[in-house]
Amino acid sequence: MAAGPTSADPSTSAPPPASTPGGGAIVLDRVSRWFGNVVAVNDVSFSIGPGITGLLGPNGAGKSTILNILAGLLRPSAGVATVDGRPTWRDPEVYRRLGLVPEREAMPGYLNGEEFVTYRARLQGVRDPAAAARRALQAVELSGVARRPIGTYSKGMRQRAKLAGALVHDPVVLLLDEPFNGLDPRQRLHMIDLLRRMAGDGRTILFSSHILEEVERLAERILVIYAGRLAAAGDFREIRRLMTDRPHTFTIRSSDDRRLASELIADPAIFATELTDGRLSVRTAEYGALTRLLPRTARAASVSLFEVRPTDESLESVFGYLVGQGGGRR
Amino acid sequence: MILTIAVATARAVLGRRRTILLVLLAAVPALVALLARGSGVSATETTALTIDLLVVRAVLPIVALVLGTAALGSELEDGTAVYVLASPVARWQIVVAKLLVAIVGTFILAGVSTLVTGLVLATDGPSLGLVWASVLGVLVGSVVYCALFVALSLVTTRAFIVGLIYVLVWEGALASLFGGTRFLSVRQYVVGVANGIGQPPGAPFGDTLPIESALMLAAVVLVLAAALAVERLRAWEVRPAD
Repeated sequence: MAAGPTSADPSTSAPPPASTPGGGAIVLDRVSRWFGNVVAVNDVSFSIGPGITGLLGPNGAGKSTILNILAGLLRPSAGVATVDGRPTWRDPEVYRRLGLVPEREAMPGYLNGEEFVTYRARLQGVRDPAAAARRALQAVELSGVARRPIGTYSKGMRQRAKLAGALVHDPVVLLLDEPFNGLDPRQRLHMIDLLRRMAGDGRTILFSSHILEEVERLAERILVIYAGRLAAAGDFREIRRLMTDRPHTFTIRSSDDRRLASELIADPAIFATELTDGRLSVRTAEYGALTRLLPRTARAASVSLFEVRPTDESLESVFGYLVGQGGGRR
Repeated sequence: MILTIAVATARAVLGRRRTILLVLLAAVPALVALLARGSGVSATETTALTIDLLVVRAVLPIVALVLGTAALGSELEDGTAVYVLASPVARWQIVVAKLLVAIVGTFILAGVSTLVTGLVLATDGPSLGLVWASVLGVLVGSVVYCALFVALSLVTTRAFIVGLIYVLVWEGALASLFGGTRFLSVRQYVVGVANGIGQPPGAPFGDTLPIESALMLAAVVLVLAAALAVERLRAWEVRPAD
């Protein structure tokens, strides 16, 4: 990935040239997109090649905007998005190499699954559309209901039909917007397996998700998007470590909060304690350090712990922290 | 490729309910013609008046409005256009396919409506000639209206309302009142062609554009509207909410 193994401020690093052997290089070069006064994507650059990359971020972070810009369905207000060196905006020819699974559920309900995928194959100029459609439907395990109108499909079936329609022309690049939405656990496993196989064949797969665990299970590399900015990019484990090592705040209820606060603040791993509304807030730089320190200190001070609760564990706060880190390094 | 898209569009646009409603609308002039038959006025005048009032001013623009704005507009509105647009198909081919469906659908309904209405009323040679001339006029009208409404669906998400205002306010009132605005009225092209080919005695369609002007203006509007539609489709973007 162009943004380096791990970077909390990847937008400042220029993407390398799209030179992936066999193709499938996706590059976003200083791309911004605004809608009126709202900045949806802010100066984002990255470059990815074959393999699975996860686009992680909370709802409304700008993931769909980025995928739509990459798919040539949104004009970048600034910067350029390319697939194999070819700008995607206003160039339908890129769709020969690119497949897209949009997030929107709407599908042509008057077609059945087989007709829909065959239609997609024809539009893509596939030589034997019927055979390609059969293969694609088989790959997503939808052959059994292929003759049923899409209007009667469940959310999971629609998701798989969309995937079949996106991969029917065997694209080198596959963009998927929240592909796991509506899938049951078994279908999720199947989708993960399918995407891994496709990546194993040398395809470039970029999928978005707001669920950390989903990305963790599938992606080798991740791009973290928050508030329209690229908060971090690189190897998943590195980003995970960065997320874990950020400052954490815990709320503690004990038999003697004041005494516990004075004992804890003596440790260098704790950089703030606060007593408000009968509760003790503790801020630490290291998650692990507090979990080891707290029981030891409480026992030594003869204080009973009633409740220990992290207060800022939402993904938003994690992403916010990563963006803050990036800003701090500028 | 055009045929592939056209077939899918026809299935999307001509849903059962919509088709039944449009067929019922197209049948109204013929039913009225049955009542107006033998009303005493000359066959040519009655035929021209009924076709003009009920088909050219009502059935034709309304059917074209429904099919023209639905052919592409519905897909753009609900987001399913992505499945066509995310393919290596030239945008002009998509526009042509959508136009073809709208035009053929409109002409079948409005053309048959004209023909049946006319045949119910026409009793002599001149009035029969006028019926066939009107069918050709309606063909020109189907092409131009559909091109306008397909282009309109790429300009605004409220294409149906804007189109309805054009038909009712502009064509229905202003273009009839002010002769100078005739060249901007599709209805004038339709009756201009019908008048020019049928050459009915008297002036049953009123003072119309000469057929040459009507055809030339129709061609200009068609080309401009189609070019606008292609250009808008090339730059079409999914909505932010998507």
